[in-house]
Amino acid sequence: MTNVILPVVLPLLAAFLLQPLARLSGVVARLLGPLVLLVGLVLLLRLWFAPDTEPFTVALGGFAPPLGIVFYVDQLALIFAIAVPLFTLLFWNWSADAYEDSQEKARQDALMLLLAASATGLALSGDLFNIYVFYELMAVASFGLVVLRGTGPAQIATVRYLLLSAFGSVLALVGIAILYTQTGTLNLAQLGQLAPTSLHGPAGLAAFGFMLVGFGVKAELFPVNTWVPEVYATAPARIAGLLAGLVSKLAVLVVVRLLVVVYQDTAASQLLLVLGTLTILFGEFAAWRSKDFPRMIGFSSIGQLGIVFIGFSIPGPWGMLAGLAVALHHLLIKSALFGLANRWSGSLESLAGGARSAPIAAGLFVLFALSLIGVPPLPGFWTKILVLTGLAQEGSGLHLMALGAILLITAIEANYLFRFATKLFSTSDRPPASHGLMDIGAAVLIGIALVAVTIQIDPVGDRLRAVARQAADREAYISTVFPAEPTIAAREDRR
Amino acid sequence: MRNLAAILFTGGLGFLLLVIASQLDFGHPPMVVGQEILDVAGDQVGAANIVTSVLLAYRGIDTLGELSILFAAATAAGLVLGHRHGDAPSDPEGGFILRAGADLLFPLLLVVGFYIILHGHLTPGGGFQGGVILAAAFFVGVLGRPAKGLNHDVISVIEGLAGAAFIGIGLWALFLEGEFLKPMLDKGTLGDLISAGTLPLLSLALGLKVGSELAGLMTSLSDTEAREP
Amino acid sequence: MIDLNFVTVLYVGAIGLLVIGAVGLVMCNNVFRMVLALVLAEAGVNLLLILAGYRGDAAAPILGFGPEGAQMVDPVPQVLVLTAIVIGVGVQALAVAVLVRVFHAYGTLDMRELKAHFEFELAAEKTTEPPRSTEEPAGGRPLSPVPPRPHPGEARS
Repeated sequence: MTNVILPVVLPLLAAFLLQPLARLSGVVARLLGPLVLLVGLVLLLRLWFAPDTEPFTVALGGFAPPLGIVFYVDQLALIFAIAVPLFTLLFWNWSADAYEDSQEKARQDALMLLLAASATGLALSGDLFNIYVFYELMAVASFGLVVLRGTGPAQIATVRYLLLSAFGSVLALVGIAILYTQTGTLNLAQLGQLAPTSLHGPAGLAAFGFMLVGFGVKAELFPVNTWVPEVYATAPARIAGLLAGLVSKLAVLVVVRLLVVVYQDTAASQLLLVLGTLTILFGEFAAWRSKDFPRMIGFSSIGQLGIVFIGFSIPGPWGMLAGLAVALHHLLIKSALFGLANRWSGSLESLAGGARSAPIAAGLFVLFALSLIGVPPLPGFWTKILVLTGLAQEGSGLHLMALGAILLITAIEANYLFRFATKLFSTSDRPPASHGLMDIGAAVLIGIALVAVTIQIDPVGDRLRAVARQAADREAYISTVFPAEPTIAAREDRR
Repeated sequence: MRNLAAILFTGGLGFLLLVIASQLDFGHPPMVVGQEILDVAGDQVGAANIVTSVLLAYRGIDTLGELSILFAAATAAGLVLGHRHGDAPSDPEGGFILRAGADLLFPLLLVVGFYIILHGHLTPGGGFQGGVILAAAFFVGVLGRPAKGLNHDVISVIEGLAGAAFIGIGLWALFLEGEFLKPMLDKGTLGDLISAGTLPLLSLALGLKVGSELAGLMTSLSDTEAREP
Repeated sequence: MIDLNFVTVLYVGAIGLLVIGAVGLVMCNNVFRMVLALVLAEAGVNLLLILAGYRGDAAAPILGFGPEGAQMVDPVPQVLVLTAIVIGVGVQALAVAVLVRVFHAYGTLDMRELKAHFEFELAAEKTTEPPRSTEEPAGGRPLSPVPPRPHPGEARS
């Protein structure tokens, strides 16, 4: 069971060794990355299919929490930890372009491996500062990947993204500092134990606000999501797909863990609800007005992430299930759409008539658009219904406003997505180029997965419900990390 | 207009922070985890410097992540700055004082850097601090004589092998004792140079990696040539 | 009492550094000054973190250093700050590297000019309309639209 550390450590080892290895043997260097990711994937899948679904913890270095760092492995963490190597392999750069410097491919692969390692660690970690370190690693690796094309606009977009992300990290660290001053610990479970007494006042809520804004940079939360359109327009499409799909989900997971384990009060959920509503309004209106394909789906991704946040802000297992469902659905759809965007990277006008030259891609786009809007029986419908009914059940003014906002933007989504679809199916003199095998392959796989989920919606729904119930159980989290521990007060008395 | 918004935003931020800070208890931290570490670290890990024992033993994974961040930054910077062609013109040599001073400082900085690295578990210091001094030792030479430059091949090999050594020690602990990065080897007596198990080895790997990485990064920053139009 | 005031001054100083960094990041026009403001903000946060573990009249957390049985400060924030400083150095170095490339490409580090270049080139690449029309008269606007000009940094790959 301690092998769960290997999917985090092995990609790091491979990344360190890639550059010296590339000098010795190019073939080994090219294969090492995918091989290591495959090994990690197999290890995690074995855990997922194990008969025992109880969450367990791994104390790193043999030091029991709260002194040491603990990895908390429950079904929710496993879902996202499995998604990491899966999607990294899907978006891997298999091309064999000639590189000016023999080390360049090795450097790119090393950055992808670092992204994968940090994302896996982020999914599994149970210690607040460990989460911060893995989050920073994810950020720095993504800076390097985003500037890959080397064009002027790409570099400017990277600078703005870097400055915003670094400032967000500073704010997150302020939140962690305030948290530490109030409670004296960094272990999530112990923070959950101490939260009712120490984090009740405005200091605790301010710490949550700072950390939300700080970790929200990657999760494309309002107001720190101004980097999204610039980066998605200039980065290579597969990197943008990785960022929009995978990286943002992991940032959301961090916020969810904080919310569930540490901050159970309604003020934190309300803050999340308000920011989520502003996010979807900002994202979808901008998507409506956007003029080129990558930015359109980039803004739409902001909108969907707002719905994810609104889902998670609903208290209890219902909110967990709603948020989880929307998040997974968005992970699939956005990755596929960015796969399509690799070839369709121009303005919307220039893509007119695309259905003639790339019928499969156009058909897939219509499928994904229908699922995004929420047309039954596609999974998107079920995810949106979960969020809407959850909001209706809460019934307070803020929740009903969020409900109205989601209905409004669904209409807007339908408008701009079908506007693009009609453009695709119209006739034109200069249809765009057709897709390469790699780009279509990823989208086709995801399309097949989507249809499979549609057919099998019941078992998938039940499994997700079980995962959500386990994840929303705060007492189980604390008692798994501290098995026979009495409360902190009793421990103090013992000393 | 933009200035006004900026002033309002930062004024609000400053006010919020001051309000928060006034609620915090100065000078009396809760010491929940800290006190326990202070009590047991000497016996459990065996290093006199408790900060190093937290850095390399209790929170070893954080240190691994941190040196991966430095590696990622250096790799990304290498990607961005590009490859330097051998025949490109370089900066002129530094003056006599800089050259002579660099030659004089080089062995001193090396000694101080290695001293700080190796004594990391006894006195304030450790891998990062010593590694930065090592990087400075090499970079001062590059400042004095830019034409000589640094051998980037050697740097990247040292970087990779040192990082792999850090993980290798952790994996060795994983295979032998079942816990990644568990301190191994004999703890020795508190206060000796050879004590605290694998901690000095981890410090050494850390110092070499950080030193070579920062030296390479700073050299490639100063070496960057303009791209051909 | 003296001790408490000293710590208060440090806290206010840390928050002040943070606010100065935030102001600089938001208000500066030169990108390099934004990076320097980021450095200041990170310094402020690191100071704030260390203060979270400060105890009046306590010794450094090294066994055998202070008098026997003395209280020691909290070692955990010091480790956190070590990590945070190194992370900050990495990010700042990467930022400066990208800035070097941007300067080689555009010859300027002014954020407004860079944004104009960005919009223009992106519009040209994606064959969309640039956000500001070049047919409008140039009077009355803070910055005239920057016409595309050949620059040293061309697209790689």
